[in-house]
Amino acid sequence: MKKIIAVARWEYLEKIKSKAFLISLFLMPLIMIAVGVLPVILADRPDSETRVIGIIDETKEIYQPLIHHLEERFKLSDGRPNYFLRSIGDEMESFLDKKIQADSLVISEEIQGYIIIRSSVMDDSLFEYRSSNVGNIRMIENIKSAVRDIIIEKRLRSQGLDPDIVKELTSPLEMRTIKLSKTGKEEESGFGQIFFTAYTFVMMMMFLVLTSGQLLIRSMLEEKSNRVVEILMSSCSATQLMAGKIIGLSGLGLTQIGFWAIIGLAISIKFAITMISLSSAFILLIYFLLGYLLYAAIFVAAGSPVSTEQEAQQLTTYITLILVMPIVLALPVMQDPDSTLVKVLSFIPLLTPTMMALRIPIQMPSTMEVLLTIVLLSASVVGAIWAAGKIFRTAILIYGKRPTLFEIVKLLQTS
Amino acid sequence: MLSVSHLRKEYSTVVAVDDVSLQVQRGEILGLIGPNGAGKTTTIRSILHIIPPDSGTITFDGKPFDETIRNKVGYLPEERGLYRKNKLLNTIVYFASLKNIDRDTAKRRAYHWLERFGLLMYHDAKVEELSKGNQQKVQFIISILHDPELVILDEPFSGLDPVNQIALKDIFLELKKQNKAVIFSTHQMDQAEKLSETICLINRGKVVLDGKLNDIKNRFGRKAVHLEFSGDGAFLTSLPSVRSAIVYENYAELELDDSLQTSLLLSQLSQRLELRRFEFIQPSLHSIFLELVGSNGKKVGSESE
Repeated sequence: MKKIIAVARWEYLEKIKSKAFLISLFLMPLIMIAVGVLPVILADRPDSETRVIGIIDETKEIYQPLIHHLEERFKLSDGRPNYFLRSIGDEMESFLDKKIQADSLVISEEIQGYIIIRSSVMDDSLFEYRSSNVGNIRMIENIKSAVRDIIIEKRLRSQGLDPDIVKELTSPLEMRTIKLSKTGKEEESGFGQIFFTAYTFVMMMMFLVLTSGQLLIRSMLEEKSNRVVEILMSSCSATQLMAGKIIGLSGLGLTQIGFWAIIGLAISIKFAITMISLSSAFILLIYFLLGYLLYAAIFVAAGSPVSTEQEAQQLTTYITLILVMPIVLALPVMQDPDSTLVKVLSFIPLLTPTMMALRIPIQMPSTMEVLLTIVLLSASVVGAIWAAGKIFRTAILIYGKRPTLFEIVKLLQTS
Repeated sequence: MLSVSHLRKEYSTVVAVDDVSLQVQRGEILGLIGPNGAGKTTTIRSILHIIPPDSGTITFDGKPFDETIRNKVGYLPEERGLYRKNKLLNTIVYFASLKNIDRDTAKRRAYHWLERFGLLMYHDAKVEELSKGNQQKVQFIISILHDPELVILDEPFSGLDPVNQIALKDIFLELKKQNKAVIFSTHQMDQAEKLSETICLINRGKVVLDGKLNDIKNRFGRKAVHLEFSGDGAFLTSLPSVRSAIVYENYAELELDDSLQTSLLLSQLSQRLELRRFEFIQPSLHSIFLELVGSNGKKVGSESE
């Protein structure tokens, strides 16, 4: 036991000081913030200057109302209009000439882009926006809705209907989604919020397993290539060495989780979001730990025969693929967390932690299911560690040639 | 202390070790010699329980291997290496802690040994900042820091400059004085000859020769004498105990009978010649090895010299 602690202590203390670990510790929250928050901030950033938009209006009926519409609805923070509409080619006869002029204005950047409204618009509901940059989604959306409103208004009037009354009658309905938990507590929560919670968890799990797994493989690779492993193996048994490594690594994982949890807690308190209840957080933690151990055992087993950098790289890629799978499955799972497919997938030990992470925030699975998956997962953890120990004991001393899968299976049977 | 009998280890393509037996007592230095690929390292790894042998027994003071043995042996692997990115002192203390030495004791001893090897100023440096030779000294420190009863050193001299070879030799003799059992492997026969009184010579996985160095030399020594004299040496060829003689003007080499008594020969010689030099020549381990392995019709490894 003393030796296991000595190994664990070394793995923990020496790795926690490593650059790779420190980077991942701070990088993950940063990535999460970048992925979750930045696009919103960037997309919502209001324009600071009035944008000039051209228009070729063949109907002659849209241009004027559109000016009012845009002026009324979209203003810059200092009160100036956000969009300025400029009619193009009024003095020209042919549509083609107008277009040529408009194009040249776009290219000389005098206008952002221009709208073409053909006289057929009332019938085919089609109009064009032409610009060198069609990526400004907010502006395009604004223009589209403004033009649409005007055309709809015109149609209503032509049918003798009052647009204001119609608008009032067809005002959109609001639906609140309320999540009922087992205790009967009501909780207002949107799909986005749940999705974010589950997704954060899965991403965290993946990131954690990958960074620490890579650290593990790299350290075993180093011990092999500099033959330190021989000194280690003459000082303690393979089982002690492996146990120490896994424990040290789990310590690293917990440190990372703890650190992130504090950040997460700080954020959720600041924004007063209750992401998940305490009891489901506890169950998630169990899944997390078991899943972590399972993957650690897999990394040990798969990593111990590795003796070159390239092999290590390949291996990490394969394991990443297994880890990424739940993320691919995330959307279908969240749309229908009670489907048979999802339930079956939850019983595959490699997927259990992440599947449950996706399901629990949406709807707590039945107690029976939770217990069964935990038992199954625990059993696979024990099995995986046992098998990893067998492989580790022999493979850690194999230099140069990587054993084939067949040889590994044989190894498991004989030793 | 250590007894190995009928050790055998087979790999998929070769028999690495075939029926190897050896013993080491406390206060004894055993030289495990043989060309590269002879099976020295495999034997050592089996003794250290790093790899399981296919058959054979290994006992320590008559008892089979158990986990406590690990704390009583020190090991310097043939291929050198340490954690490159870690600090010297931390690394040494870690390996000592794997031998159940508490951290304070380990630190104290580490300082002592670092000072002795002139590495004290590096204690806070990363291992990779040290030269190869210095790293090897650190590894050596690691192998003896926990005061092991049995020290196994695989090719300890390779890569060391002459000054450090002498320093290492001194420590060898200290270990012997402290009643430790020492096994060291080498493919340099002269190293073994200088340091060990017992040797075990392995070739192609088999023990070719073992025992006390003196016994071996006597066994293999064509007893030969080297003479320098003034006088007429013609009679030397006809002396009864002389098997053959090469006689020059002031110089002769005699090959003698096993039954010869030195004092008798000396008196016979001094009666008729004025001796300036009388010296028994022992064959070198190297020549014995060549003779043995050569006569068996086996090839000697190219690096055996």
